[in-house]
Amino acid sequence: MSSSNVNNSTSNILVVGKESIQVIAQKIGNNNLSPDIFPSLAADVEYRLREIMQEAIKCMHHSKRTILTSEDVDFALHLRNLEPIYGFGSGDTYKFKKAAAHKDLFYIDDKQVDFKNVMKAPISKTPQDTSVVSNWLAVEGVQPATPETTLFEALASPSDNKKADYKDDEIPADVKYPVKHVLSRELQLYFEKITELTVGRSDSILFKEALLSLATDSGLHPLVPYFTYFIGDEVMRNSKSFHLLFALMRLVRSLLQNPHLHIEPYLHQLMPSIMTCLIGKTLSHKLSDNHWELRNYAALLVSSICRRYGHAYHTLQPRVTKTLLHNFLDPSKTMAQQYGAICALASIGPSVVGFIVLPNLEPYLQLIEPEMQVEKQKNETKRYEAWRVYGALLHAVGQCVYKKLKLIPSPLSPPTCTPWKVNAKIMTTMANKRKASTDNMMQQPPLKRVTTEGSMGINTANSFPVNIQRATGGYSTSLGGSDVGLSSMPRHLPTENVLGINGKKDDRAKKLPSSSTQALKEVMDAGQFLPLLTENFGESMLPFIPTPLSNIFL
Amino acid sequence: MDEEEIEKVVLAYLKKKGLKQTELALQEEQQAKNNADPDAAKQVVSFSEPDNIPEQYEDGYCKLRSWTYSSLDLYKHELLRILYPVFVHCFMDLVAKGHLQEARAFFNKFREDHEMMHLRDLQKLEGVLSPSHLEEMEFAHSLRQSKVNIKICQYSYDLMMQYLHKTQSITMLGIINEHINFQVSPGQPISLSDDTEVVTLVGSGQDTANLINQKEIHWGLLEDSVEERLEKTLLSDPEKAEGETKEGESEENKKRSMEGGKQGTSSKKLKKDKVVGAAAKAARTEGSVSAAPRVKSELSLPVIPTEVEYSILDDLRNRVQLSNVALPSVSFYTFLNSHNGLNCSSISHDGSLVAGGFSDSSLKVWDMALLGQQTESSILPEENEAARSVPGTNSGKRSYSLYRGHSGPIYSAAFSPFGDFLLSSSSDSTIRLWSTKLNANLVCYKGHNYPVWDVQFSPAGHYFASSSHDRTARIWSMDRIQPLRIMAGHLSDVDCVQWHANCNYIATGSSDKTVRLWDVQSGECVRIFIGHRSMILSLAMSPDGRYMASGDEDGTIMMWDLSSGRCVTPLVGHTSCVWTLDYSCEGSLLASGSADCTVKLWDVTSSTRVPKAEEIKTGSTTNRLRSLKTLPTKSTPVYAVKFSRRNLLFAAGPISAKGLATY
Repeated sequence: MSSSNVNNSTSNILVVGKESIQVIAQKIGNNNLSPDIFPSLAADVEYRLREIMQEAIKCMHHSKRTILTSEDVDFALHLRNLEPIYGFGSGDTYKFKKAAAHKDLFYIDDKQVDFKNVMKAPISKTPQDTSVVSNWLAVEGVQPATPETTLFEALASPSDNKKADYKDDEIPADVKYPVKHVLSRELQLYFEKITELTVGRSDSILFKEALLSLATDSGLHPLVPYFTYFIGDEVMRNSKSFHLLFALMRLVRSLLQNPHLHIEPYLHQLMPSIMTCLIGKTLSHKLSDNHWELRNYAALLVSSICRRYGHAYHTLQPRVTKTLLHNFLDPSKTMAQQYGAICALASIGPSVVGFIVLPNLEPYLQLIEPEMQVEKQKNETKRYEAWRVYGALLHAVGQCVYKKLKLIPSPLSPPTCTPWKVNAKIMTTMANKRKASTDNMMQQPPLKRVTTEGSMGINTANSFPVNIQRATGGYSTSLGGSDVGLSSMPRHLPTENVLGINGKKDDRAKKLPSSSTQALKEVMDAGQFLPLLTENFGESMLPFIPTPLSNIFL
Repeated sequence: MDEEEIEKVVLAYLKKKGLKQTELALQEEQQAKNNADPDAAKQVVSFSEPDNIPEQYEDGYCKLRSWTYSSLDLYKHELLRILYPVFVHCFMDLVAKGHLQEARAFFNKFREDHEMMHLRDLQKLEGVLSPSHLEEMEFAHSLRQSKVNIKICQYSYDLMMQYLHKTQSITMLGIINEHINFQVSPGQPISLSDDTEVVTLVGSGQDTANLINQKEIHWGLLEDSVEERLEKTLLSDPEKAEGETKEGESEENKKRSMEGGKQGTSSKKLKKDKVVGAAAKAARTEGSVSAAPRVKSELSLPVIPTEVEYSILDDLRNRVQLSNVALPSVSFYTFLNSHNGLNCSSISHDGSLVAGGFSDSSLKVWDMALLGQQTESSILPEENEAARSVPGTNSGKRSYSLYRGHSGPIYSAAFSPFGDFLLSSSSDSTIRLWSTKLNANLVCYKGHNYPVWDVQFSPAGHYFASSSHDRTARIWSMDRIQPLRIMAGHLSDVDCVQWHANCNYIATGSSDKTVRLWDVQSGECVRIFIGHRSMILSLAMSPDGRYMASGDEDGTIMMWDLSSGRCVTPLVGHTSCVWTLDYSCEGSLLASGSADCTVKLWDVTSSTRVPKAEEIKTGSTTNRLRSLKTLPTKSTPVYAVKFSRRNLLFAAGPISAKGLATY
């Protein structure tokens, strides 16, 4: 009877059964009542109860409450000159428990309290005194956006104009979740789910699904800034946890792939994260983590970004290459960093390799050569790293060469080759590169160079068949595929290159039967810098030379 | 046919009175007379078996009900009205005859039909469980004593009678004849919207109410009030002189009956239009001009001190003009840490003092000016906004003055018009007068025998009215410890009381769901307003003295025309108890505060502009009063609303932690 809702207490049909009267009679020790009077007593008890409740409700209303309390009932009893029911006046709400086996019997769950504990308990604080504060509920009929009044408007109004109204209290409470006002509940959930997966379970199938969804779903655009921020933040904080970084890069890739997203404005925020994954000093705690793979992945991302948005952002590619070049040429950087730089340069495109890598190839190789030799570098990991870099370099240069050579129309196998576009400009620059290995001579008019270089090409072409011959012996199957090249490189290279470096290239060049045809002239043009390459790489260069050409020389 | 009907009635009567011998004799006689009539024989047989009485009732009601529901649409709503009294009386008859189980079963079976309209009555009635309860319970008793008036059109009446005779529903016919008084009107059925009068079964009966409502009342404002003097100063320029002569003309209408009232309104309307057409300044006095027939006070009113008069004049000059497009600013006083103990709150006329009455018998008064609050000194919101800082900086001392003296929960507090006195009423059945200047108790008024629910100062001060659980309202003056008048007549607790603007009348709202208007001088009841469906909790009188608003437990507010005693329009919007009501100073807006944690502003002018005569003629009471604005608080039920003389609205309430979730 403590605090029950008014409506409940009156609308339920309260029936005092005669059994209840019997129980009460027995309880007060009156056993010899005749059973006939129970029903009439029950009816009367119920009437009295209702009467009391009616008075109690009046008291409740005059106390301006809508909840009936035990005080109200006591007061109603007092009005009828009855003794109040003692023991219910504490003001606490009572918890009624259902008695087992009786469906309508309830009792108050009264715990036994140890007197000692009560004595020991600290004296409770005095309740705060009543006070009155005033605020404006409305100013000329319009509710101001104050904390006291904006119960309903708060959710709808943007946080900005609300902030202005905060004078002295509760300011930090609101600024915390700006997301709330912009994003729909669904998007928030989506974002939370994706980030959770990225951080926690990036190896699950679910994550793959998530990536797929990210790459294809439309309507995710509002989330892009949050994802960019998330990626940047996570990369910065976890620059050494390999798996997370990899997951984040996959996330980036999905975002880039999504045709519905307009990601350009956020590229400047994304690039540092990707670059970190590309040329970060250490990207993993454990040796077992294949951070090379991560660097490759990042390199691909960089190249794809450069390709897609390079035209829109003219400074993008130069800036990227500058950073990469700096990493590539700085001897203080670790092998891994240099590897990343080379990979990225290679993936950006052969022209960049031609520009940046080839001129520096010779000094660079000299630099890492001692690192690769068993005798000079005892440290296994260091040596492995050096070989890795060497492989990357080889791949980069090789691919560059392959691209060049592919441009040459092959006379013997015209049907297999799509019409090649002879890019004069590239050829000149390539040609120039060979000559100007140490200094720049870019100012010369290209056309003129083509002609002059043409004759030079014939001489250098001497070394060409030799390579092919060796290639047939060594690698009969692996032809020009960049992936194959990469994967096979680490295993094959050591022995082969040791030979190559042992200075056999000169006599090879002389053995060449010079059966050059007219058609081969251009091949020579392109291949003019091959000597340089073979000089440095030896036979391992061979897979990059297109089949048609090798056929010719066979 | 007529003869037969009479016989039936006689039979029913005999049966009811338990005059078995006579009944049998009559039956025999009848049998002898109508031997050929098998129907009559059946009829007699049914009477001779007293065992199946409960079935008769239930069956009869059931049939009547299904017939009613399938009757013609046009007349259905009229016929449906009959069902409720029949239902109630069937139930009570069953109880009276001792068929308690059957009565309960019958009640529960058909209860749902009437729950929507008569929930509260049903809740009361379901407690009736023995014949003695019927006698004891006032409501049931009065229902059985009196007849219910039902307006019904001729055709509906014929339809029903035809049905009852054809089906030989003697029981139903008996009940209908005994307890329902049909007011058969020729022509078309009465429109649905008019049935507010039918829904309430009032013990005293509509007749007495109608009779009382015939009495004349003079709701004009007082002569020689401060407002009038201000008006006169304004009227000194020649343009306004015209208005005054008009006013003089209508003085003839001073004494008038209800019909006279209608005339007056039309002439008033003309005049009002003129004044409205005049200069902007005239708009300020519009309210009082429209209520032109000034009356003399029947009480000897106290003299207003000159300095107070000056401040009132100042307030009147600075009054903000409110209308449905110019809404007031609302300043809200929130009680913090009231620990569920705040029972009532009151705000002084200038908003500078706030009183709270608590269930622990204490009365606390906050001086908002002392708390660094600029309240009334400037109405500019900007300034007030700047001053809005958390009070209670004098943390060492209490921020309020504590008035101790009562020995029971305080149910009401009221400031005198000039804020120097405070009255409080308590469950200890006393009223105490406190001085806000001295912070001390001055007088304890003993007279009521039961808790005093409400106390209100008269608009002029000095006199005050109280209402109590003892079903009386009393008029007091500050200088006497005995009441001057006792108003008795309500059938249940008098829950709230309010003075009329001219101090000659008080209105009381009661748990019997009626509002009554009493003449202070004679102590007579001059109006009964019937229409509420639950207990009346709050009352407000319009400043022009013409209208009254009352709010009830269900959240309905009704606006009444005092002269006709009719409801102008119900205002529906609140979802819980309406604790407080107040009119703005020129009477254009009504503010209401409710347990649903909102303050609502209602447009009053839009309805009152329609000429009353026309409204009565068409009989349409479409909801023309509209809710202008709902101002939700942050889980603070609103205990008091008050317009200051400058039309700034103050509201107060305790913040509740549970907020809306408590309902």
